[in-house]
Amino acid sequence: MEAIATRPAVACCRRAASSAPASTRPILNTLPSGARQKSTAARTRRALNIPPHPSFLTQTGNNAEGRPTTDQIIYNPPSSAASVFHTPFKFLPKNDPRRRANLASELFASSATIHFNTNPSSTPSSSSTTAEEFPSIEGAPRYRARHHLAPADIEEMRRLREADPAQNTVQALSARFQCSKLFVMMCCQAPREHRDKVKADLAQTQERWGPRRRAAREERRARMGMVFGGEL
Amino acid sequence: MKRLRLDRWTGQLLLARPGASPASTPRAALRAAAAVPSRCAAVRSQSTGAAVPQIPREDVDDYYDGTDHTRFPPLEPLPPRATSLPSPPPERALQSAKLAALHARLSLPERLPLQTLARALVDASADENPQFNNTTLAFVGQSLINYHVAEWVMCRYPRLPMDIMYATMKGYAGASSLHHVARAWGVEHAAAPGGEVDPGLLQFSLHKPGDAIVGLGYRRAEADGMKKYKWRHGMSSRVVFDDDFGEVVDTEDAKDELRLRRDTEYGNEYTRALAEKAFATCARAVTGAIYAHAGRDAAKAFVQAHVLSRTLDLSKLFAFAKPTRELSMLCAREDFEPPVARLLSETGRMSRTPVFVVGIFSGKDKLGEAAGPSLEVARNKAAMNALKSWYLYSPGEGVRVPSDMLADDARPWEPAYIDIGEVVGR
Repeated sequence: MEAIATRPAVACCRRAASSAPASTRPILNTLPSGARQKSTAARTRRALNIPPHPSFLTQTGNNAEGRPTTDQIIYNPPSSAASVFHTPFKFLPKNDPRRRANLASELFASSATIHFNTNPSSTPSSSSTTAEEFPSIEGAPRYRARHHLAPADIEEMRRLREADPAQNTVQALSARFQCSKLFVMMCCQAPREHRDKVKADLAQTQERWGPRRRAAREERRARMGMVFGGEL
Repeated sequence: MKRLRLDRWTGQLLLARPGASPASTPRAALRAAAAVPSRCAAVRSQSTGAAVPQIPREDVDDYYDGTDHTRFPPLEPLPPRATSLPSPPPERALQSAKLAALHARLSLPERLPLQTLARALVDASADENPQFNNTTLAFVGQSLINYHVAEWVMCRYPRLPMDIMYATMKGYAGASSLHHVARAWGVEHAAAPGGEVDPGLLQFSLHKPGDAIVGLGYRRAEADGMKKYKWRHGMSSRVVFDDDFGEVVDTEDAKDELRLRRDTEYGNEYTRALAEKAFATCARAVTGAIYAHAGRDAAKAFVQAHVLSRTLDLSKLFAFAKPTRELSMLCAREDFEPPVARLLSETGRMSRTPVFVVGIFSGKDKLGEAAGPSLEVARNKAAMNALKSWYLYSPGEGVRVPSDMLADDARPWEPAYIDIGEVVGR
């Protein structure tokens, strides 16, 4: 790959070089001599002149120059996510005719199946991806409601929380009683002095925030609100 | 343009002002209009000829309304005392080109006479007399429009939560939408209402709003507190007390401040709302008039053509507080596997503008998918998309509505899909 150091990187390197001890300076001299800045229009144009993505070039039906020979429109990158007006199979009611229509395909493949029709003359190949192939981004597995806690357990939970709220945090109690944090919070509440202390700690932390950090947090919250409102 | 056959028009609503004029049927009105002698010969102020001196007749004292007709000659022969009336007399409707054009442009049924169409253009703020304004027609019209929109939304999108249902109703049949409908018909408004105004113009007053009741709903005793202190009012009370769009029935006193400023500004929120209301009332009154003269089927076809044919993106109406939790509750309620967010693809994780594509799966099935600049945003958006696709389930485009059964040759009714209810209370 062609190495083109952009302007900020060079500036950073230069700053690092000037401030670094003498022993590290020779490293800068080992940068490839081809590292150039895009100072002129010609270099910028050359840098931005990138070839098309290989997926454009290797498609069947393209001629020697890689241009498509048919009138078919290729969406690359592909179009956006499915419309919310296309109800997922799972959300269809039991008596919906669409359920019967694609019952067969549902029996043998999941709705996340992606078919790449590599050879148009033959039947579609069975290259499919299942849901499990995609990594989950959920955090630690949460406790599902199992309804296993007796009134005595809840009393015990309350007693523990009352006795030492700093040690028996909501998370600790949730792990100990194998229930969700929401359930712990539904069952018991920390004593008032502990709540006041937590609140004071938080206020003290926020006291140390400068205007930029404060504004950034405000903006982040506003942006999340816009996401929930469907504006972003 | 198709010739209007006046002899086929019915005269039900033409008798609105009994005895006011001999013209009680369209034909008689035509004759009367032709026979009205011009009260004063039009004086051309720029003409070089000598002005004909006006000889006051004996009956002029009766009709004289104070207008100096030598200085302000009428553009068309007006019936006696027209300028002193709050709205144009019904018999003038036959002479209005604007009204005939509106009638033809909307392809209104021939049985709907021009006089009724003229009455649909008189707002209650222009003429307080309910025999001459469009209040009664608008009440019928708004009931019809709201009924047809509500049954269509209920059958077409059976899983909508109640607040989205209200927003949808408002989007189709609310004042601002019907205002746009009436504007698109080419309805224009007069600068000020009066008897001398062309009957083809919408007449409303910005100075006395009028107290015509055109909607259903109770005036809440706590309405002021709700506005001032933001008291919570839940969905159940909105269903019971508020109007067809779930909005608190408002009093006029609440807008005092805006009303005081209406003449000093070019137009403010208050005047715009009044104009919007007048146009919407006009659209409703036309629907009511069609129902009165041409019947149920014509009114339904009119509502479908002018109100339900409009495009409203329902997916833009949603807002969620905790979408992931709501989706979990939905999956638990419907006995689906718990939803899991999975990363489908990503680009530029270490860059300034990363894009993550996250899908939400329940078991093997993907429920929703979205892209976002962070995992958290993408996950929430995917959950919102999944919830939207649940709520926006539709049995199909050509879903039947209960009023289809009123046709004579209707097929037997199949029960519409009814959802068991919302996932979370709002």
